[in-house]
Amino acid sequence: MVKKKTVMKYFVKAIWVFNWFNSCGFTELVPVVGSRWDMERFGMITVNSPRKADVLFIAGFQTPKSMKRAQKIYEQMPDPKFVLALGSCPITGGMYWDSYNTVKKLEDYLPVTMYIPGCPPRPEAVFDAVFKIVQHVHGMPDE
Amino acid sequence: MSVVEKEKNNLDKEEKIVTALSKKLNKKVNIQRKKRLWVSIEPKEIVDACSIAYDMGFEHLSTISVTDWIEKNNFEIAYHLWSYKEKMLLTIKTRINRENPTISSVTSLWSKNAELCERECHEFYGVIFEGNVNLTPLMLEDWTGPPPFRKDFDWRKYVQQEYYDESNPREDIYFEVKK
Ligand code: SF4
Repeated sequence: MVKKKTVMKYFVKAIWVFNWFNSCGFTELVPVVGSRWDMERFGMITVNSPRKADVLFIAGFQTPKSMKRAQKIYEQMPDPKFVLALGSCPITGGMYWDSYNTVKKLEDYLPVTMYIPGCPPRPEAVFDAVFKIVQHVHGMPDE
Repeated sequence: MSVVEKEKNNLDKEEKIVTALSKKLNKKVNIQRKKRLWVSIEPKEIVDACSIAYDMGFEHLSTISVTDWIEKNNFEIAYHLWSYKEKMLLTIKTRINRENPTISSVTSLWSKNAELCERECHEFYGVIFEGNVNLTPLMLEDWTGPPPFRKDFDWRKYVQQEYYDESNPREDIYFEVKK
């Protein structure tokens, strides 16, 4: 029988990400993509279709309208899949905590794997989260 | 031509446009400041006034804005028209009743552009533009509350009901702020 860990190891060897960003959310990941932190060194690339992605990055304040689209994207991603929420906006609504049209808790809408706090989060924090996923897989029992 | 002469020429041009517009609209056109004109009209004249302005060179509809004057019980709708030829902005203002916020659509003049502006005004203020066939919401999909930009919309109460739960310790802070 093929071991789960073996399969997962292949998946997380190179993490392919799909981005779903609203508002200033886009600028949160830009430094990570850019040459200074350069996520491609670690095999992370942004892909053009959710069907190729392992990780869904969600950043920026989400609205009920954008959440519907995010759910569609999530459903299209192949298993195993992870959702990483960047910034304080998806965590609590951030500075839009009192707005009539923003989502306050992302986990009400999508299964969130990990929250990365910050406004915006530092690139180091983003890498930390990604490495935690990798570590988790490597630490899986051999069965 | 010297700078002074140029300025004088410009002023003359402005005066000419103001006189011509005032005559055609049969309303007093005011000069707010340089290159900024405004006129106040009746709601039922809106399409006629816009088409007159259009014919005089005010071809571009920059935006339509709504202001909620709750104590006067009316909405002020402003149409901002730009003239490429004269480089001048004309604002056509009109007031409609808050209880029955209906006005004719200007989609016959500006089609898609006006449609989008009117959709937004409809979404946030509940103004109904008669003749606009597409007044579906832009941002507020599945919205059930009242139009949110109206002054009497209690958004704090709405947010509390829609998104927060007093029994959830994580959300205590919201209710503490309220107290
Ligand atoms: S967490 Fe901060 S940087 Fe990120 S989307 Fe919200 S306000 Fe913008």
